[in-house]
Amino acid sequence: MIKIKAKDVDVFYGKKQALFNISLDIEENQVTALIGPSGCGKSTFLRCLNRMNDVIDICSVKGEILINDFNINDKSCDVVRLREKIGMVFQKPNPFPKTLYENVSYGPTIHGMAQSKQEMDEIVETSLKKAALWEEVKDRLHEPGTGLSGGQQQRLCIARAISVRPEVILMDEPCSALDPIATAQIEELIDELKKEHTIIIVTHSMAQAARVSQNTGFFHLGQLIEHGSTDKIFKNPDNKKTQDYITGRFG
Amino acid sequence: MNKNKEQLLNKRYKAEQRFRLYGLSAIFMALLFLTIFIFKIFSTGYSAFQKTWLVVPVTFDAELMMLDQNPSKEDLQDADYYDIALKSMADLDPKANEDQENELKRMVSYFFEKEIKNELLNDPNLIGKTKEVYLTASDDLDQVFKGNYPRDLPEDQRRVSDYQLKIFDQLVANGKVESKFNISFFTNADSREAELAGIASSFMGSIFSILVCLMIAFPVAVLAAIYLEEFAPKNRFTDFIEVNINNLAAVPSIVFGLLGLGVLLAIFQLPRSTPLVGGITLSLMTLPTIIIAARASLKAVPPSIREAALAMGASRMQTTMHHTVPLSMPGTLSGTIIGLAQALGETAPLILIGMVAFVNTIPGSPMDPAASLPVQIYIWAESAERGFVEKVSACIMVLLGFLIIMNLFAQIIRHKFEKKWS
Repeated sequence: MIKIKAKDVDVFYGKKQALFNISLDIEENQVTALIGPSGCGKSTFLRCLNRMNDVIDICSVKGEILINDFNINDKSCDVVRLREKIGMVFQKPNPFPKTLYENVSYGPTIHGMAQSKQEMDEIVETSLKKAALWEEVKDRLHEPGTGLSGGQQQRLCIARAISVRPEVILMDEPCSALDPIATAQIEELIDELKKEHTIIIVTHSMAQAARVSQNTGFFHLGQLIEHGSTDKIFKNPDNKKTQDYITGRFG
Repeated sequence: MNKNKEQLLNKRYKAEQRFRLYGLSAIFMALLFLTIFIFKIFSTGYSAFQKTWLVVPVTFDAELMMLDQNPSKEDLQDADYYDIALKSMADLDPKANEDQENELKRMVSYFFEKEIKNELLNDPNLIGKTKEVYLTASDDLDQVFKGNYPRDLPEDQRRVSDYQLKIFDQLVANGKVESKFNISFFTNADSREAELAGIASSFMGSIFSILVCLMIAFPVAVLAAIYLEEFAPKNRFTDFIEVNINNLAAVPSIVFGLLGLGVLLAIFQLPRSTPLVGGITLSLMTLPTIIIAARASLKAVPPSIREAALAMGASRMQTTMHHTVPLSMPGTLSGTIIGLAQALGETAPLILIGMVAFVNTIPGSPMDPAASLPVQIYIWAESAERGFVEKVSACIMVLLGFLIIMNLFAQIIRHKFEKKWS
């Protein structure tokens, strides 16, 4: 099943074009990895999917991005509703400087998802359990989230993202600031999360893309060079550039 | 080659040492000036916190006070105290002639009649008896007792006559002159008589001005800062506003005083000399300071926090109100306090809007005429009487204490509530 369908997406920063004609289909309940050298536009593309580029004044997006067959670049699309459905985890862990509980309950609170304290407690607990953080923090839910280790903070951010039960989770290099053990934990978590969510992950590590994803898209200089199943991209790419990047000849 | 290198290295070390020395001497100079300044103020001002009293026996003679037998409270209120007051002063020297009696009277404050009256009102049983009453010494004798008065000047150049000094020395020898903590310095309003003048009016005036200033400047500045930082598009117009806010911060304060005079008093007809007008004028001055501080602390909130909130589906307003503004509050508040501290020490604009008027009542609201602490310093510094010299320093001490407390508070807020980012 195709969850997201991007058609001829162009992105401009002022006069400079950052993405050229990107068309990409993303499968539901699978992990899609976006790889490519720095500055190739993979993060920009990711931020198109929940319209985070709106925040940047000079950035403009053209083309269609259909999520559940609805064009999110359409004027009638409400960004608040869109971002409720499409969660995001950033490169650097960015918990709010509030308690763990407040971090996870923030989304459900502003979207009015819990009628009572018990319901909220439940949401917080299940979100933290799904983010594999519950056992480590259940006794200190009311301590500041910024007091956790880097890996724990990133899992807290994942718990925060899934607390509103999004259909899609966007991950922008979620492990680049973490050590190998924390990275392994997050990767395991991604594998678990794909059962309920569609996941798109931007990564610099080809090994990580190979480990966690089913589909891979390779970006270079603002163009989507090639995309397909991860197996095919890594073992038998069609394009010479992809081949060169995968084998480490540039990037 | 090697030798050359070593020379170069030595030179670099020497240059560094010299540089450190310059820095140290700069700090030393600053500390020296500060010490001299503080020492001067304290050594001149501390004596203002003491007040000299003459202990004079007063006979509460019912006849002289025109009182009947068994007088009521009202009778005591209305009784004539001038004669017994005069008599008790004249009795200090039984051989005094009329001129000398006059001089004796001037050894205490003109308030002495009231002090005697209060004594009797407190204890009506005193009628017909004699009691030693504490009377405020005149400001000149106060200075004599504190050792600040040039006794060796020729008599015609002094306000205290030889006769008064003679009687005063007798009183001192008999232990009838006492020095006590000067409560009236804090409870009295300004007065033409140095011994009675206090800072209550100017202190309350300053407090009211600062409150008015805070209530106007803080909300306006914070809203302006939030709009400019979080919502306004970046274009020529907002650049223009930004430049002008910075310009506003550099405008000399007296210009704001003229603005207050021309607009608030002349056009809006607000009451002259009041903390209300003073506060509004000061708020114009404080506004840019708070805006700049608030914008700086909004800018200091990492963009990742905004992104996190937006990505959770918070609207821009929610992102701002739930996250950015609370996180920027410590910086904004300490900037506000520093802005208020500046306003507290401001003199020129208040002089222009008439807060320099002689006010001998304590204001009960921002609509009552009042002075302010720095203006009070200015008024007293202009006065000729010797008694005001120590008052000026004492008033400076109070103002400085006030400022130090405010700045301390700003520091505490900044350190205690500042969030650490992950």
